[in-house]
Amino acid sequence: MGALGKPIILMVGMYLFLKFVLPNIPGSAPLPSSLIFLYLLLTASGIVIYETLSGESKDAFWGPMQRFLTGENVGGLQALRYGVLILFPLLVGWQTYGSTAVSDLPPTESRTVHPAPPGEYTGLSNPVPKTPDNIMQGKGFYAAFCSPCHGGNFDGKGPAARGFIPAPANFADPTTIAMLQESYLFWRIKKGGVGLPIEGTPWKSAMPRWEVELPDEWIWKIIMGEYDGAHQSPRTWE
Amino acid sequence: MKPANRVMKQVLRGGVAMVVATIIGGTSLSVAQESVSVRATLMTGGVPIDDPNAAAWSSAPPATFPMSPQVHWPNRIQEVTVKDVSVRALHDGKQVAFLLEYADPTQDPDDAAALEFMVGDKKAHFAHGQPMLQVEGGPVNIWFWKNKTNKAADMTAKGFGTLKPQEHQDVTAKGVYSNGSWKVVFSRNLSTGHAEEDVQITPGQFISIAFAVWDGRKDGAGELVEKGSQKAVSSWWYFRADAPPDYSGYMYAAIAAALALGFQFVLIRKLKKGQ
Repeated sequence: MGALGKPIILMVGMYLFLKFVLPNIPGSAPLPSSLIFLYLLLTASGIVIYETLSGESKDAFWGPMQRFLTGENVGGLQALRYGVLILFPLLVGWQTYGSTAVSDLPPTESRTVHPAPPGEYTGLSNPVPKTPDNIMQGKGFYAAFCSPCHGGNFDGKGPAARGFIPAPANFADPTTIAMLQESYLFWRIKKGGVGLPIEGTPWKSAMPRWEVELPDEWIWKIIMGEYDGAHQSPRTWE
Repeated sequence: MKPANRVMKQVLRGGVAMVVATIIGGTSLSVAQESVSVRATLMTGGVPIDDPNAAAWSSAPPATFPMSPQVHWPNRIQEVTVKDVSVRALHDGKQVAFLLEYADPTQDPDDAAALEFMVGDKKAHFAHGQPMLQVEGGPVNIWFWKNKTNKAADMTAKGFGTLKPQEHQDVTAKGVYSNGSWKVVFSRNLSTGHAEEDVQITPGQFISIAFAVWDGRKDGAGELVEKGSQKAVSSWWYFRADAPPDYSGYMYAAIAAALALGFQFVLIRKLKKGQ
């Protein structure tokens, strides 16, 4: 039994390690079940190769399995043997059903959050001087035009935000305006959701195309007010 | 031999449990996001096209979607009455019916609601299919109901100011108000002869759907608060009419199980002969 017990303990140990120990190592993450399956398959192959290196170890490895399957001299394990023989075809059937059943999930849409802007909107610098007055004015415009969705606290939680998918950007989040240049914001505010390329799913965005309502100068001031209010600074090329 | 047997038993039991855990862990991922779509349950004997209180509706699972004030283009509105809509759908292979339910404290003549669909393969912006700058969009089909007439209008739009009733009116609607909430049924044949302006519903296929609601209340000056583009809107969600039941999965599963059983049988026979 020893020759068979050790590999099984090794497999179970490997599974527990991959499932519960590895994700807790700093810098690691939970493994997808497909990867765990692959690792377990590799482990099993390794065990089979190791155990069948010599004729002697091969017999020690396969012998108990053969005896278990054929039911010779298994004694008290007979009931378990029938259990395994019944359970195995059922598992195979279940897996087959699971992989052929029609999915109830709608098509997944991948969306690029910050797609590349058109060429003419790269590297523009804010032409409005960064004075307290201008920042103040920008915050005033922000309160009037942007805050219903993007929120009075610049957190994307304005009263009008709840029904919109994608949700309005949270400017206090370091992964939004803090990693973008001012010219990028100028493009997004001017052209709005409908100005996005296909990878940005423009048909879903509620962001207005502000160029038809606001002069460029106001937009530059809004950008200033946004960075100041959200306590972020634009990305620059050092 | 006895203790060894017991250890073996335990180890095998653990192994089986592990296999089962892996399978369950792998498949349970597929039940998470139910409320992103409305499904029309397949029924027999005709859908309740003009009865929002029909018993058949209880067989359709409701899906709830959040609403926002329309702020995308002028004239905007900052606050709206209706915060969520609950939607059910039924179909019988020929006709489809949607039941829209939402809370509205008062019944007003100008109360209204609408469903919006993408038409064809091209994506359309949720705001009346307004033109996108880098993507060629398609039209939207709008089924509009208003309390004043308690009827539906079958409409088409492709951009602002292009909304107009279609030549062929294929949609019916009926609303019933009680206890502070509206129940509105919209219905139509799954397919129509006008694929360029009407959404065509093929069972089993996902279609983009959106919702709009107008509370017809008036302000102190007697002016309508919600009218035209000043309304509650939703984002795009998905709709699917259930396909007829498909039992082929069970058949494949039975074949696979039979093959596995046969494999076991042959293997054990071979092992027994070999010894």
